[in-house]
Amino acid sequence: MVLVTSVRDYINRMLQDISGMKVLILDSETVSNVSIVYSQSELLQKEVFLVEMIDSISVSKESMSHLKAVYFIRPTSDNIQKLRYQLANPRFGEYHLFFSNLLKDTQIHILADSDEQEVVQQVQEYYADFVSGDPYHFTLNMASNHLYMIPAVVDPSGLQRFSDRVVDGIAAVFLALKRRPVIRYQRTSDTAKRIAHETAKLMYQHESALFDFRRTESSPLLLVIDRRDDPVTPLLNQWTYQAMVHELIGLQDNKVDLKSIGSLPKDQQVEVVLSSEQDAFFKSNMYENFGDIGMNIKRMVDDFQQVAKSNQNIQTVEDMARFVDNYPEYKKMQGNVSKHVTLVTEMSKLVEARKLMTVSQTEQDLACNGGQGAAYEAVTDLLNNESVSDIDRLRLVMLYALRYEKENPVQLMQLFNKLASRSPKYKPGLVQFLLKQAGVEKRTGDLFGNRDLLNIARNMARGLKGVENVYTQHQPLLFQTMESITRGRLRDVDYPFVGDHFQQGRPQEVVIFMVGGTTYEESRSVALQNATNSGVRFILGGTAVLNSKRFLKDLEEAQRISRSGSHMV
Amino acid sequence: MATRNRTTVYRKHRDACKSARAPLSLSASDSFGGPVIEMVSGSFSRSNHSSYAPLNSYDPGPSSSDAFTIGMPPAWVDDSEEITFNIQKVRDKMNELAKAHSKALMPTFGDNKGIHREVEMLTHEITDLLRKSEKRLQMLSTRGPSEESNLRKNVQRSLATDLQNLSMELRRKQSTYLKRLQQQKEGQDEVDLEFNVNGKMSRLDEEDELGGMGFDEHQTIKLKEGQHVSAEREREIQQVLGSVNDLAQIMKDLSALVIDQGTIVDRIDYNVQNVSTSVEEGYKQLQKAERTQREGAMVKCATILLVLCLIMIVLLILKNILF
Repeated sequence: MVLVTSVRDYINRMLQDISGMKVLILDSETVSNVSIVYSQSELLQKEVFLVEMIDSISVSKESMSHLKAVYFIRPTSDNIQKLRYQLANPRFGEYHLFFSNLLKDTQIHILADSDEQEVVQQVQEYYADFVSGDPYHFTLNMASNHLYMIPAVVDPSGLQRFSDRVVDGIAAVFLALKRRPVIRYQRTSDTAKRIAHETAKLMYQHESALFDFRRTESSPLLLVIDRRDDPVTPLLNQWTYQAMVHELIGLQDNKVDLKSIGSLPKDQQVEVVLSSEQDAFFKSNMYENFGDIGMNIKRMVDDFQQVAKSNQNIQTVEDMARFVDNYPEYKKMQGNVSKHVTLVTEMSKLVEARKLMTVSQTEQDLACNGGQGAAYEAVTDLLNNESVSDIDRLRLVMLYALRYEKENPVQLMQLFNKLASRSPKYKPGLVQFLLKQAGVEKRTGDLFGNRDLLNIARNMARGLKGVENVYTQHQPLLFQTMESITRGRLRDVDYPFVGDHFQQGRPQEVVIFMVGGTTYEESRSVALQNATNSGVRFILGGTAVLNSKRFLKDLEEAQRISRSGSHMV
Repeated sequence: MATRNRTTVYRKHRDACKSARAPLSLSASDSFGGPVIEMVSGSFSRSNHSSYAPLNSYDPGPSSSDAFTIGMPPAWVDDSEEITFNIQKVRDKMNELAKAHSKALMPTFGDNKGIHREVEMLTHEITDLLRKSEKRLQMLSTRGPSEESNLRKNVQRSLATDLQNLSMELRRKQSTYLKRLQQQKEGQDEVDLEFNVNGKMSRLDEEDELGGMGFDEHQTIKLKEGQHVSAEREREIQQVLGSVNDLAQIMKDLSALVIDQGTIVDRIDYNVQNVSTSVEEGYKQLQKAERTQREGAMVKCATILLVLCLIMIVLLILKNILF
């Protein structure tokens, strides 16, 4: 709730002090930050009657001097150049400039030099430089998310841009929270180390005055970790509502694009909004599993049918008046019911067509249970199954390889060959590349619970006790990390501190930033952990929100660049 | 949440850039000041100290011709401002209507026809204002250049939401008033029952006395008064129902303009994408129009050539005939 509220407060403060008709001008990144927490109706109430993009604003040359322009853009070089041209030829009566991150002095010089007609009224930095659609989860929506896997020697400028963007996002989050954290990072990740050090330099040296907030009881903790420490979670099928929608259809900025599903009737709307802020049903069901969702939707449909039935019994003037009064609410309920029924129906079709329940059972066994021989047999059977799709085959082999990398190399090679013969679409070597990036020697955490004695004992106990739900038994590695932080037992050797800072006691606020992207399964873990009221509040952020397709696409991109890079070297 | 104000630094740099651009005006003022000094020196024999003050008073200030010229807003902005003004007027009159409703429903000993007439008049005024605003709101989308259509549509949407809320509020007030008026009507029927009871007692008295024509007249007058009051209230109820129907029609028209919250249409990025798509389509349409115009010009040219050829042929024939 904190991050969503921060972005909303920033936007409210931008718009409420400026009277009259306004135009809001955004760029391709801030439009996501704003749209996910603010609606068009709310903008209209603030007298914002036009929203434009800074890219397309130069297409029309018409003067609108009766309007006031409110810019909310990131302070990138491209945006500064565009804004410079627009200030030299102003279309609006007044210009109010709000930047979503730190502004350099040279950029202020450039803009001041272009403002010959003195139309700029104010220049402010409002640090809403992150996309936050859920209470404890934010993302930076970075397009080139694969760069964290590239060594620095291959593409130094690309990695520098990647690091700068991540540092900007982290700085914005802590400025919005008004905190300066103690910083720890994952030892085995060079990218995480680089980001942690640059963030510390920004917060404790370059902009030390800006981050000098009132000291609280204990400093918050920023933990920078790498996606490659837990490559299993983005590869698994998901069975809770929010994660499932993202895995099967795609959830971007709380919007679901149904155009990719060809079976919808033409009059149906092609995009729907799934927001925990606006949709009470989604808020109470986004972390429920598939079976419970079905039951809850049935109950919602029954309630709606009762309302619809009573709306058809109109005989007297009072009934007519009551119907007209309640019609907007009825219409809204109808749209909501239609949306959820459509989504669950489409997901059911996909689950049936791709045999995902069978595939997921084997996936969960690979991730959570032992037994190499049985696992090999199960994966081989599914590779031979005609109903299993190519991407599911690839994921199964990847999960097996991650789990049993060192055991029985002959059978592993047989699986590679069988995958290549069954699914020629995928280039050879992607599984090997995954092992090179995220193999057992590269990882810090105890991903499969087979290193630490305590984890081995815990897994044995869980095996004896039995599992509630075989499809949602997997816990991300993040769950263990959060438990370690809560108990104050996160190892200094594996997660060292930046500089000479140290933690006095247990932190009350922890921001975990995952380089390479987060998943909605991990977002669910964080929300459930915060619901237990253990005294520590966690916020999870990442460079993107992954599903298996996005994770595999990033792997392919990184592999391609690594191959061409090695040729150059 | 932290913010940082960079306006001061920005203005400092802007002023520095402006003074860097100032030498031209400085030299202009320098040349302009020369004759003034000579005139002052020539016309008054004063000391050096007093000759500096007129120079300062004649120094031209920063030029105002460079200031940004504020253009006139387009015509539809006047329309939207008038609608906003009408909305405020409707709100004021609805406050008056609430007071009139309270006064009309209060039990009075005298004649309350004036109060009811005031209620009617206020209701009609409010309905007329809403209807007028709605018509002007519909016209808002048809006027003006197409580049501002998105802006006008959003203004229309915002005003439509306000009008719809006012219409619903007025409907609610009228419904409440109607119910209480009906309750009063039933109360009047009870009074009629009392009259009947009185009639029976009077009849008993008449039988005892074997006379009493005056009581009959009294009963007749009472009955006529009751009927008259009932008819009047019936007419008022019909009028209120009519106004409720008018408001329902207004609400139906406005609901087409109001967006449901929580849907995709209420998303900022969805609307911005649509704007971009519309702009691109507009650009393509402009290119097509340009191509069509060229083709039209070529057709015109060919037609002119044809006409000239015909004229030449006619002249040639005439020349042969004459000679």
